[in-house]
Order: sequence, then C-alpha cells, then structure tokens
Amino acid sequence: MTATAERPTTTIFRRPSSTTGLWSWLTTVDHKRIGIMYGYAAFSFFLIGGLEALLLRIQLSQANAEFLTAGAYNALFTMHGTTMIFLFVMPASAAFMNYLLPLLIGARDVAFPRLNALSWWIFVFGAIFLYSTFFFGTSLAPVGVDGIGGIDGNLAAGGGPGTFNFLADSPDGGWFGYQPNAGPLYSAGTAMDYWALGLQIVGLASLVSSVNFVVTVLNMRAKGMRLLRMPVFAWMTTVTSFLLLFSLPIIAVALFMVTFDRQFGSLFFAATNGGDPILWQHLFWLFGHPEVYILILPAMGIVSEILPTFSRKPLFGYSAVVFAGAAIAFLGFGVWAHHMFSSGITPVAQAAFGLATMTIAIPTGIKIFNWLGTMWMGRIRLTTAMLFAIGFVAMFTIGGLSGVTHAVVPSDWQQTDTYYIVAHFHYVIFGGAIFGLFGGMYYWFPKLTGRLMNEKLGKTHFWLMLLGFNLTFAPMHWLGLQGMVRRTWKYAPETGLEPWNVAVTIGAFIIALSILVFIYNWFTSRRRGQESGLDPWDARTVEWMVPNPTPEYNFAVPPVVGSLDHFWHLKYDQDAEGRAVRKPDGDEIVARIEYEQLNPAEPIHLPNPSYFPVLVALGLPIMFYGIIYHETLWGKALIAVGAIITLGSLIGWGMEPLEEPHHVEHEDHDQVGEASFDG
Amino acid sequence: MSVEEHTHHPTPAQYWKIAVVLGVLTAIEVAMYYINDAYNLGALNAVLLIILAGLKFVIVVGFYMHLRYEKPTLNRFFTAGFILAMALYTVVLTAMGVIAIRGA
Amino acid sequence: MADLAHEMDLGHPEHESTGIDNRKLGMWAFLSSEFLFFGALISNYLLYSNRAGFTGVYPSEIYDIPFTSVSSFVLLMSSLTMVLAHNALSRGDQGGTRTWLFATAALGAVFLGGQVFEFTEFITLYDMKLTTNPAASAFYLLTGFHGTHVAIGVIMLLSLWGISRRQGELSEKHGMNLELVGLYWHFVDIIWIVIFTVVYLLSVPPA
Repeated sequence: MTATAERPTTTIFRRPSSTTGLWSWLTTVDHKRIGIMYGYAAFSFFLIGGLEALLLRIQLSQANAEFLTAGAYNALFTMHGTTMIFLFVMPASAAFMNYLLPLLIGARDVAFPRLNALSWWIFVFGAIFLYSTFFFGTSLAPVGVDGIGGIDGNLAAGGGPGTFNFLADSPDGGWFGYQPNAGPLYSAGTAMDYWALGLQIVGLASLVSSVNFVVTVLNMRAKGMRLLRMPVFAWMTTVTSFLLLFSLPIIAVALFMVTFDRQFGSLFFAATNGGDPILWQHLFWLFGHPEVYILILPAMGIVSEILPTFSRKPLFGYSAVVFAGAAIAFLGFGVWAHHMFSSGITPVAQAAFGLATMTIAIPTGIKIFNWLGTMWMGRIRLTTAMLFAIGFVAMFTIGGLSGVTHAVVPSDWQQTDTYYIVAHFHYVIFGGAIFGLFGGMYYWFPKLTGRLMNEKLGKTHFWLMLLGFNLTFAPMHWLGLQGMVRRTWKYAPETGLEPWNVAVTIGAFIIALSILVFIYNWFTSRRRGQESGLDPWDARTVEWMVPNPTPEYNFAVPPVVGSLDHFWHLKYDQDAEGRAVRKPDGDEIVARIEYEQLNPAEPIHLPNPSYFPVLVALGLPIMFYGIIYHETLWGKALIAVGAIITLGSLIGWGMEPLEEPHHVEHEDHDQVGEASFDG
Repeated sequence: MSVEEHTHHPTPAQYWKIAVVLGVLTAIEVAMYYINDAYNLGALNAVLLIILAGLKFVIVVGFYMHLRYEKPTLNRFFTAGFILAMALYTVVLTAMGVIAIRGA
Repeated sequence: MADLAHEMDLGHPEHESTGIDNRKLGMWAFLSSEFLFFGALISNYLLYSNRAGFTGVYPSEIYDIPFTSVSSFVLLMSSLTMVLAHNALSRGDQGGTRTWLFATAALGAVFLGGQVFEFTEFITLYDMKLTTNPAASAFYLLTGFHGTHVAIGVIMLLSLWGISRRQGELSEKHGMNLELVGLYWHFVDIIWIVIFTVVYLLSVPPA
C-alpha cells in the first residue's frame, strides 16, 4: 500500500529507530517489551514489599518487641500493602495482559501501541515518585487539638522508642488512607502526599491501559475469533479492564479531595469543620472493592488456561466460567460497604451489603467447581505451572470461605480489624492471585525466552512456598479470633499470642527462601534452560501457534479461528467416545505452523517507536513534586515545567503518525525476545 | 472508516433547529427557577427541572454526539457508565442520609 | 493471504471487529468512565450543600442565576458550533471548519471567563473560598474540575485550528481527531447541563 499524499514533517525530533539497546527500550511501543518491563518492575516491588513484610514479622515475633519503632511499623505496613497491591499484583497482571492479549486473540499488537507505552511509563514514574517518599517524605507528630486527649506527647516525632526507626518518615496512614487520620491535621508532613499523588499517577496508568485493552478485544480479534472463542485469560483481561475503567475515576476523585485537604486547605474530610470521614470510606471502597476483583480475575484467567492444558481436557463449562467472571465483576460493584460494617452505617445498609456479598460466592463457586471438573478424569501432568494452578484453587477456596464468614455481619464485627481479616485477604491475594501469577510465569516462560524453566527447582519453589505460605497465614485465623489486633506494633505477653507469631514469622522466612529459589531458576533458565520449541506443553490456544521466543511481529500469518481451543483442534481429532486422538500428521502440522510463522512472505510493517510516551509521562511526577512543594517558588516552577513537558509532548504525539511512510524494510527478522535486553 | 460516512447526519439547518430547542429548554428551566421562588412548588420543581435537564442531555448526546445514528456498542458503553454512576452514587447518598428513605 | 497479513498492520485497521473506528470506541469508553468521575464530585456537593452547621456562607446562598444562565447558554451554543465544524469538515469545507473550530474555542473561553468572574465575586464579595466550609470546598472542586476539562478542550480545539491553518487543511487522521475532540467537548457540555440544574437551580442552603 503506497503512502497517501505527503505527510508533512511536524515532529521536532527525528523518529527513533533503534531496535536494540537502552534507547530501544525507552521508545518501544511493542506490547511484548512493555509487558516484560512491567514484569521486571512488578517483581522488583514484590521483593521490596516482601522485605517490608519481613521487617514487620520480625517485630511481631516477640511480645512487646521494640525492634521497630511504632512510627516505622506504621510506615512499613502502609508501604507493604500499598506496594503489594498497586506496585506488584496490578502491574504483574498488566505484564501478562500486555504480553499475551494480542497473541491470544491473533493480533499483532494492541489497538493503541503508543498509549500502551504511555501506561507503562506513567506507571514506573509514578512508582518511583511514590517510593521517593523514603528519601523526601516527612511525617510529623500529630498537632494537638483542643478537646482531643492523648495525642500530645504520646508519639514523639519520628516514631517513638525502638531500634529501627528508619522509614518512620514515610506514609503511615495505611494503604487505605482513612480520613481524617491520614489528613493534614493528624498526618502532617509530606509523606501522605507522596502516597496520595503517587497512587493518583499509577491509577492513571491503569485507566489508560483499560481503554486500550477494551478496544483491542472488541476490535482487533483475528478472523473467526468470536468473543466466545477467546481464551479465558483474554476474557478476564476484558472484564478486569471494565472494572478498572469504572472504578479508577472514583478513587481519583477521592485522592484529589485528600490532596486538596492536605495542600490547599479544603475541608472535605476535616471532621472538626464538618467534613465527613465516612465519605472517604465510601469513595475509597467504591473503588477498593472492585479493586480486589481486579487483583484476582487475571490470575483466575491464568489458572483457566493452565488447568485444561495439563489435564489434557477442555475447560469444563467455558461459557459458565466466562459469565461467572463477568458476574463477579458486576456484583463486585455492589458490595463495597462490607468493609464498613463497623463504621456506623445503618442496620439496613449492613443487611443489604451482607446479602449482596454472599451472592458473589455463587459465581465464584461456579468457577471453582468448573476448575475441579476440568481436572476430573483428566490425564494430569504435574508440572510446576500445574502445581501452582491447583494450589490456587485450594488456597483461594480457603480464602473464599473465610470471606463468606465476613459476609455474616455480626460475625464480621468480631473479625474486623483483627488478624482473621489479614488471614482472609492473604489467602485470596497470595494463595490466590500470586500463586496464579507464578503459575503463569512458569507456563509462559517459553514464549519470552524460547526455553523452559527447570522443573526440579520449580517444584522446590512450589512446595517451599506452599509450606511457608500456610505456616504464615493459617495461624492468623486463630490469632485473630483470639484477639490479635491489626495495625498495632506490639502485643503484650499476657495475651499468649507469641508462640504462634513465632511460627508465622518462620513461615514468612520460608516464603522468602522459596522466592530465592525462583529467582535463581529464572535467571539460570533464561541462559541455559532446555529449549522449548513451538509447543512445549501440547497446548490448546493460539498464542502457542507462534515460535518461541515470540517474533517481534507476533503472527506472520494471522490465524483464521475455527473454534474455541483452535490450536488443539488443529492437532487433535475426537474418537467415538469424545476422547482426543492426535492426528497422524499432528507433528507435521505443528512444524509447518512454525515454519510459516518464522518466514513471513512479505515485509511486515510495525508501528514505529516513539519518544512521546516517555516524555508525556515524565511531566506528571515533575508536576506532582511541584504540587507537594507548591508554597515555594521552585515548587511552582516545577508545576509549570511538568505541565509544559506533558502538554507539549501530547501535541507532538498528536502530530506524529503511528507508522512512518514505508520506505525502509525491516532487515532484522531476528526473534526479539529478552535477548535484546543488553542494557 | 468508510462505514461512518454512509450513516445519516443531520444537516446544518437541523443542527441550528436543535440549538434553538436547547435554548428554549434552558429558558424554561430558568423561568421555572423564578416561578418556584415565587410560588414554591416543592417536589414538582425538582421533578420538572430534572426532566428538562434530562431532555437537553439526551438531545445533545443523541444528535450532537451522534449516538442516535451510531452502532449500539457505543450506546451500551455510555449507558452502562451512566447507569452505574447513578446506581452507585444513589446508594452512597442514601447510606449517608442525603436521600431519605424510610428505615434506611 | 498477503492481504490478511497486511490487514493486521496497525496503521491500517481495515477490519475492526465491531465496525467502529478504534479511536472512536476508545473515546466513548473513556467518556463513559468520566460519569463515575463527575458523579463522585456531584455527590460530594449534594452531600454537603445543605448540611447544617457550617460556618461561613453556603454556595447556594450566593448564586447569581441570571449570570450563570447566560454562561450556560454560551456553553450550550458551543456544542452547536462544534457540530457545525465537524459538518463543515465532512463536506470538505476547510475554511468553514476553521471558523467553527475557532468559534467553539472562543465560546468555551467566554464560559471560562464567566467562571473566573463568578469565582472572583464569590471570593471577594462573599468571602466564600475553598477553605470556608465543606460545601464551598465541594462547589469549587466540582466546578473547578469541570472548568479544567473545558480548558483542556479549548486547548485541543485551538491545536486543531492551528494545525488546519498551518497545513491548509485537516487530513483524514486529523479529521478523526476533530470528531474525537467534538465528542469530548459535547460530554463536557452535558456535564454542565447536569451541574447547572442540580447545583445552581436545585440546591438550597440548610433551613
């Protein structure tokens, strides 16, 4: 296709063109590279969040310990939660969604490749901005207010007695930032501003992504890839994107309100001036509850891909699993006040939300039974990926059961703010989402690298992690019911809570050990792992119809999809009893697919790299630093500079075509996977 | 892209007429405000004003944003967002006592 | 086969499964999320606007309805000029497009000027600032964010106008951008339709 009438050059810079080296990663618009970057960033934050947890656990392993100061403790649990949720699980899910979505639907990239890069850069700059609080944030002792006793002198500036006080000047209002505690009066200083504005930035990244994914799924599917033929992970990506699309604006407003209260003196949550603290809770949880489904649905999608592959059976009740996912998301918008049962909402509200919460167990149960049905009578192969998927089903079920007990309102009044709740959400987020993510890492590793991860090390990782995880979180159920309170830096020896807390801490260190095994496995397998070939798992879905590692262009020849599990049906027939029988020429079919995909008949034109996403993103943290210090002259200057960078780059972007006119062919048909990351 | 050009578009004259309708609706709204000031119509005032605003809303969305002539997918997005927002915030305002319903 | 492979190229999305252009679908998706954004701001205002017991003046005590009616009318008419700009472009009338784009931006700027004037009056004459009480905070946050959206819209309109002047015409790509900016602009207008009614005409201070 010839370029149409000359496109005037309106960009200021020459378009970047490198395909290797650091610049290529800074300017890439390739969804696979973006996914890889998300993955490494997310995992780094996983390690940081894990260290934060270990510090907390050391403090709690002994009654009346003063290993951490109270101030440091509060900061660590705040940052642990914030990091794990916003900087690990969400971007890790994004890594999978980014890398896989186009492959799963037979497309070459997402609908808006530069917007995709923008999401990534906004995320990483936002995460760095948030963490810069460790260096720049301040957390001052609460200002005494007449009529409110006990504050003055109770907590010395910096965190109080204890050995480890480093980090006491960081955000310490909890990951949920309840107001007015995390407001200007009771959390003076800048730490909570870094928290609020940092979350604002990373939230924007997810919102931009969600628009991208929704349009991609609706518009970019290969021929024959009807919506109800898409792999479940593609469906869960879509559902998650809708959840993000509709819930992020709510937290954005709430975070703006908190920022305005803290920076500009507005009175949204200022209780002494008539502000309503409950308003914060409603707005936060209106987002916060859909958020937990955002955390779990992608992992549920991963499990729905792994189980059928290693059971050698189709997913039991594909449509039911898909619709159950959509139902969970929809119902998930209606239950937020179950986080507020003890906040003083009316009995009618409590009953309504309690009932609504129970209904979510129905679609969840449908999924669990369908996963079990998938495995039933299957020819199971217990690869590491499969172990993690089965582990997900078991651990998530346990977490779900404790969740059902929370739905019973009077029971929740006992459980709330105790370690019982901590047990619940770690079973579903860790035993659920994180196990699912690890399973995905083992399963799709070949797509990234062309190699397999070591199975022995993988199984070691799994069993150590399963042991450590259960040792850490199971005791929290009864610790909570025995009265161990959340978010409290010490407990007295008379409570008798110490012995099990020691066990919990040991469990936490076992988890850490298992992660070291994983990291070792990941890096050595990248270099020396067994080569995987096109189809190492004898898989079912179209992402396995491209060579490993994935070529830059994804599909040389787009698939024309005839059914659900299209790849499987290319390789297998059914016998009279409905059992799968490999076609006699199955291996040749696979070999031919590999050959076709490796040797495109025509030059393939991909969207060109671009500077603008990283530039637009860069302006945001600059502006937000300026907002925190807006009372100074240089703070005001930063706001202006950041705004100009973002705005100017947006205009430049608007004038840049997605693809430059084609006069140069891509000479490198090298398969670009991780191998190019030579930075 | 070629599909778009074949869908129906109102003519400039029709756009002007719609603008006149919008102007008239606004004028009625403002008049209602003063009538209510004088005669205090109570709930009726709110209902009428909301209906008038609703009409303006639907007219701008349907004709100016062209939703009336677009594929249903776009309508579904828009309606979904609108209904979700209405539902969620109605519940919040009820729970916080701004909207009073018996017993809640 | 080659056609199919070429069809996958992102620069030329000839087969979009829904038949709706990617960018248009994306804009509608984004706009539908904005309901949740403005809904929160409006709910916040409704929560505080007639709550008793605040010090200082309540916004609904000091509205200047005639003034705001005029600026609301101005914004409403800017939707007309916007749609005339789009219509002109579809007929290939580049000069007309430019005129109507500029008119839309101008009307938007007039609206913003009205907001600035209104806020200045509130602050200087009635001492109602962001920090006066929660009702005032809610009013300023809501109208402030709406105004910011209008300002961003004006910038986008002027950018398109500038590109059209510089290049002599809006290419097909920029034509789609005009349609997208139009959708955004109308959305900002309908939010104001709601705000004008709910915030200005309907809200009352506490008894």
